[in-house]
Amino acid sequence: MVDLARKNLLHDKLRFLITISGVAFAVTLVLVQLGLFFGLLKNATITIEKLGADLWVTSKNTHNVDFAHTFPESRVQRVRSTPGVVRADNLIVTFMDFTLPNGAQDATLVYALENFEAWRFPWRVEEGNITDLRRGNYVFVDNSAVRRFGPFSTGEYREYLGTRLKIIGRTEEARSFTTTPISFMEYGLAQRLMTVGNHDQTTYVLIKLAPGADLEQVRAELQRRLPHNDIYTSAEWAERSRSYWINNTGLGFNMAMTVFLGCLVGIIVVAQTLYTSTMEHLREFGTVKAIGGSNRDIYAILARQALISSVIGFALGIVPTLVIRALVQQADIELLISRPLVITVFIGTIGMCLAASMISFRKVASIDPALVFRN
Amino acid sequence: MPVLEAHAITKTFQEGHETVTVLRGATLALEQGEIVTLEGPSGSGKTTLLSIIGCILTPTSGRLVVEGEEVDIRRRERLPEIRKRSVGFVFQQYNLFPALTAVENVEFALNIKGQRGREARQEAERVLHAVGLGDRMNFLPRELSGGQKQRVALARALAGHPPILLADEPTANLDSEVGGQVLRMFHELAKRENRALLIVTHDPKVRTIADRVLRIANGCLAGEVKP
Repeated sequence: MVDLARKNLLHDKLRFLITISGVAFAVTLVLVQLGLFFGLLKNATITIEKLGADLWVTSKNTHNVDFAHTFPESRVQRVRSTPGVVRADNLIVTFMDFTLPNGAQDATLVYALENFEAWRFPWRVEEGNITDLRRGNYVFVDNSAVRRFGPFSTGEYREYLGTRLKIIGRTEEARSFTTTPISFMEYGLAQRLMTVGNHDQTTYVLIKLAPGADLEQVRAELQRRLPHNDIYTSAEWAERSRSYWINNTGLGFNMAMTVFLGCLVGIIVVAQTLYTSTMEHLREFGTVKAIGGSNRDIYAILARQALISSVIGFALGIVPTLVIRALVQQADIELLISRPLVITVFIGTIGMCLAASMISFRKVASIDPALVFRN
Repeated sequence: MPVLEAHAITKTFQEGHETVTVLRGATLALEQGEIVTLEGPSGSGKTTLLSIIGCILTPTSGRLVVEGEEVDIRRRERLPEIRKRSVGFVFQQYNLFPALTAVENVEFALNIKGQRGREARQEAERVLHAVGLGDRMNFLPRELSGGQKQRVALARALAGHPPILLADEPTANLDSEVGGQVLRMFHELAKRENRALLIVTHDPKVRTIADRVLRIANGCLAGEVKP
């Protein structure tokens, strides 16, 4: 079968280049924006996912994991005595003022547990032994703090709410949506540092269920015992945290707009170039009809041109995306480009190009094959 | 039995509020292996008649019979099938696909007619050899002379063995020597392959290969003249 679609596309190399550049631009724009979006959302929930609790007890109406509210820590006892619960621990998540060596104030997001090992948290310890946290006024700091607080090393001291704490370890990958660097300290120390009135307070209770326990039954019982708290599964809590950032910060709208604009640019460029190409090849399409071709034959040619443009444009769009990903990684920003995202954008690109070729479909459907006799 | 019969063909076009009659009851028949030229001044309806008997346009009234089968002029969607099966066209402007080589131009027409793969390629090569372009098969149209382009167009029309060949001013863009060569080729191939050939032309030289010459004026076939 002679591939008229491909040959026609490659016959006018400049136009083809413009077409695939348009597609590539749209692909890059959409992939980078969505990659940033998913990277940010991953930061918003990575601690929830890594803690691996079956259920979370939060104070009433807490919107996301970073902006926690306190409730009496004694409620953990009610949780521990609930049938089906195998482990329950208080977790404090709170922002603390932090004094830099130059005297400047900044903030750090503190995660405090009594027993970090039991929760395999933090999940990537680069230096130090996490069990040592309970031995005194010690702290682990995530490496992401270097960008914001400057270089630090274990053995150095930093002031947290006016108290000097020794850095005894470093972690990797611990992030928050707010980009505030994360520190880890022992639960009792965090409580002591927290402001007056919060000394018997916690912010969350993490729950592990016994094997075979009915999650919904346990949750219902917990809800009965803790009427002033909310109880979520990890997935629900992560979704709630994500939703907060997507809906309350305009991030979701911004992302939708960017994806829409990327697709619009792609559709306009492809539609415009395919349409111009179609107009210039009208006599050829008329000839196809004159020699017995149907509208379907011509649609197939146009659709194939759109398909070729989309596949090559997509492949070209991937290259700058990977370059940008490498560049932003150096700035400690994650561009999360997963396989499902790539597949989705690929399918979207094909759909976009086919949609763009529809305008040309309308034009060729109306071609009078008698035009082949005109000079 | 004629391979093509047109009876009392009329064609009117609407131009604004005005109805223009282009053909007024044209009747003609083409036999297998017969070469007929259709002559007439500009605007006389030659090309419209060619379009109708080539099943590109439908007549306003009249009957058309192709290979013994009555063409239902109300069903336009069936016309491509008849064109595919029964008609080969040669155009004044050649209308070759510029991105395809000579052999691909012919092969593509065969693909449209339903032939694929090796069979289509071999048939395309056969007809290109028949028109004397065996050594130009992989040339793009821009690399061919006017006469060569017209021979590719003829090969394309011949491909797939349609019984009817319709040519619109095939020598108009060629100098007289090349035009003469192309005409001799038309004659030789139409006779050898037993095709009916109708040539619309202004060129009096075309008469030299014709069995019959029809004249048309004001949409009426005005009768035959001796070639």
